Amino acid sequence: MTILTQLKEQIAAQLPKLDMVIGWERGYDALHATPLFIRAAEDVERLQIGPLAVHNTATYLTGLKNKKVGLVVKGCDSRAVIQLQQEGLINRENVVVFGFPCDGVVDLTKLRREVGDLGRVTEVDASPTELRLNLDGQERNVALADVLADKCTRCRFPNALVHDHFAGTPREAHAVDDDYADVLAFESQPLEARFEHWQQEMSRCIRCYACRNACPMCVCRDHCVAQSRDPHWMTQDDAVREKWLFQVIHAMHLAGRCVECGECQRACPVDIPILALKRKLNKEIKEVFNHDAGVDPNAIPPLLSFQVEEENINERGW
Amino acid sequence: MTENPKQSPLTANPYLPEIGTIIETIQETHNIKTFRIVLGSEERMQNFHYEPGQVGQLSVFGIGESTFVINSPPTRKEYLQFSVMRAGEVTTKLHSLSKGDRIGVRAPLGNHFPYESMKGKDVVFIGGGIGMAPLRTLLLFMLDNREDYGKISVLYGARSPQDMAFSYELPEWLERKDMETVLTIDREAEGWEHKVGLIPNVLLEMAPKPKKAVAVTCGPPIMIKFTLQALKKLGFKDDQIVTTLEKRMKCGVGICGRCNIGTKYVCVDGPVFTYEQLRELPNEL
Amino acid sequence: MAEAKFIANDKLTAWLDELSATMRVLAPARQGDAVVFVPYVAGQNVELGQEATAPPKSTVFPASEDLLRYDYRKNPENLGQVDVELFPTITPEPTLVFGSRPCGARGFLIFDRVYDGAKYKDPYYLARREATLFATIACLKAENACFCHSVGSAPGDAAGSDLLLTPMDDGYVVEAVSKKGEALLGSSLFTAGKKKAGQAKKLREQALKDMGEPQDFGPAKDKLLALFDDMGFWEDVSAKCISCGACTYLCPTCYCFNITDENAGLTGRRVRSWDNCMSFQFTLEASGHNPRPTKAHRLKNRVGHKFSYYPALHEGIIACCGCGRCIKSCPVSVDIREIVTKAMAHQPPAVEEAAK
Repeated sequence: MTILTQLKEQIAAQLPKLDMVIGWERGYDALHATPLFIRAAEDVERLQIGPLAVHNTATYLTGLKNKKVGLVVKGCDSRAVIQLQQEGLINRENVVVFGFPCDGVVDLTKLRREVGDLGRVTEVDASPTELRLNLDGQERNVALADVLADKCTRCRFPNALVHDHFAGTPREAHAVDDDYADVLAFESQPLEARFEHWQQEMSRCIRCYACRNACPMCVCRDHCVAQSRDPHWMTQDDAVREKWLFQVIHAMHLAGRCVECGECQRACPVDIPILALKRKLNKEIKEVFNHDAGVDPNAIPPLLSFQVEEENINERGW
Repeated sequence: MTENPKQSPLTANPYLPEIGTIIETIQETHNIKTFRIVLGSEERMQNFHYEPGQVGQLSVFGIGESTFVINSPPTRKEYLQFSVMRAGEVTTKLHSLSKGDRIGVRAPLGNHFPYESMKGKDVVFIGGGIGMAPLRTLLLFMLDNREDYGKISVLYGARSPQDMAFSYELPEWLERKDMETVLTIDREAEGWEHKVGLIPNVLLEMAPKPKKAVAVTCGPPIMIKFTLQALKKLGFKDDQIVTTLEKRMKCGVGICGRCNIGTKYVCVDGPVFTYEQLRELPNEL
Repeated sequence: MAEAKFIANDKLTAWLDELSATMRVLAPARQGDAVVFVPYVAGQNVELGQEATAPPKSTVFPASEDLLRYDYRKNPENLGQVDVELFPTITPEPTLVFGSRPCGARGFLIFDRVYDGAKYKDPYYLARREATLFATIACLKAENACFCHSVGSAPGDAAGSDLLLTPMDDGYVVEAVSKKGEALLGSSLFTAGKKKAGQAKKLREQALKDMGEPQDFGPAKDKLLALFDDMGFWEDVSAKCISCGACTYLCPTCYCFNITDENAGLTGRRVRSWDNCMSFQFTLEASGHNPRPTKAHRLKNRVGHKFSYYPALHEGIIACCGCGRCIKSCPVSVDIREIVTKAMAHQPPAVEEAAK
């Protein structure tokens, strides 16, 4: 039995007890999957998993309070569930988690870099190692490894860390540790170059807040500081300063909470590489508190706790 | 800014306020404050034409704009009167203004009460809380053209005696022989000599006759809901009931796109609607 | 109109250099992984192969602009008296938008009916509109998300443009659509294009044919209204929406805006900025009441505005140019075509029961 068939069976069995199960289905074309809200038994058939099932299903959880929600999760999605649970933002009893071993998902931006404009893909065939596309009438083969999301190439948790049902057998992780090589490489550039980088990248931000709304941990949503007049920290000007300030606030609010699902960056319609800001903060959190967000449901996020003496903070030591 | 006092600056640039001066303020209740405002020059005031029910955007530069009905009638143009209930950022700032302060005014905006088609008819005003403000404009306009209208009745309700705005003119309304005025509060209060009870119930007691009559009502949504039921019970048809709506507005001139109910923009097609018109619109109040 | 001209591929940059010497030219350029319209400077790369990530909406309708500046001034005669003076700030700059697709240019035709209204005219928009020309490149191949032919347009639609360029193997056939466009064809870099114009027309017609049968969205006008109170339907089609503003901000026809004041001591600005009907704050009233409290209410208004309310007010014209950005740039691939189609096909549950 394939993993997908097994998943469908598990979902079909649980569905009567649930308001909905969130997974993925084929979207408007062969290349785009889209979140699927399974409510009726016949919806189960549309379920799809695999390298195009990119969305983090946990993003919807906080908007569905008081509903019984089934969630099909990749490893990274499951970390968001754990993190939300840690912070008391969801009632775990209302969530039924369907896990499966994830082989990684495609970063469509990387794919675009490989094959060009993706607007006319008519067929996609994914094997564990390769993506075969029919693009504008032409066959294109791309090694999956070349277009996997960065988070997948360094993924330590491909299997749902928390689950009530699991389809298939757990797979091995891609990596054992995250060396934050990308962050270190960026930080090795001169300040001016880094400043110039962000000036450029942020200049095309359209302030749509897809980054915020796609983030499973961004829970202020309708009451976000981005639009608030009280406090009035940001103007509505189309200016890098305002856009960047928001990204910094977003990143700071996620320090020690960000599970690096990468949804902020994936959702960005103008491809601003904003995950880097969150990676930087996670790196610091890791160094100071040796904490990984969304791994242990019983852990306390370091910035939500206070200890008189932190092991790695040498108070008054400077 | 206005070079030609005869022309409304809104024609050239609908976003550009005129600068007015507050000549008087009245603290109506703990959270309602009234502003009497004059525009640039006496000539400008004389050339400022508006109709009862039209609204204006008041600006506090640096804070923003908000929409309020001009609650003084065009028959009394020494000043333009606006009554502001403190609710958000702009209204809170407005409450801190006093006599002599400058204020931005974009007016008149929107449609108006159908006072022409109401001629010869009985008119029943039913106002709740700050909802009395738009009714006041039409009421005073009708009192100034008293012979054009039939019986005029006013039912004005507020939570408590302290929540009654326009207290300085209520005695006159109560005394006038050419109109009926009923005041009501939600709960008994010491020294209160008028009705106690919710507006819809008092309205049923008053039992205005629907024949050749129009009811004009404004107030909080819950009051409107039950007042409508009461009016229907009394035999009023949807085209005999007029109300004025509130929505979040920005531009005030039908462009910015947020105050629509289906195809109608409250800022230009409203704020005044009959219930017959509202029934035709999608249910999104 | 003048006869068609032709410009060879290797002359295109020289032409842009000429044009940019006389006015601001905005052209699509690759920036990171996106393609955006930026001021053209001589010699810069121009990305014409891939449709721009964001349409050229901001050229006429900037993401933010000052409506006015104000100064508070203490009255020297009476220190308690603070006067305020206003300065409207309308500063259009002659601009050529080069390399937009027909859908990007056509979006402003939807704006015009609102911003150039019978009663009120928006002088900021109109000044920029007047000062901006469009040299548009016809599409010869639609993308999966494209549906311009279903909303009254076509991949070679010249409406809203001043020049229409049709890509050929060796260059572009350039045809004037307006008098203003004609005035841009004086360059000696052009050769005669009359002979190629016929072929260009054929290519454009073929592109339209390749899109297949258009969908008829006409019935949506009444059907969406009939579905207004069916919140189950709207909750269903909006379930996956994350209520961000990507669809509205990338839409060439979405024209809603916000106005906010920005104060700095005794001076400040009144700023108009893009606003987004998918945001909770859009209709939130000071009392706390919100007539569109959930994303289902808000998506209903967005779809309704484009396919029902606007057409009802404007001769059946749909407020959408079919560019597909709301589909392909949506983080969760919400497909407006699918929603409208579903709405048109939707039978209220009661009717279904009766039919059984």
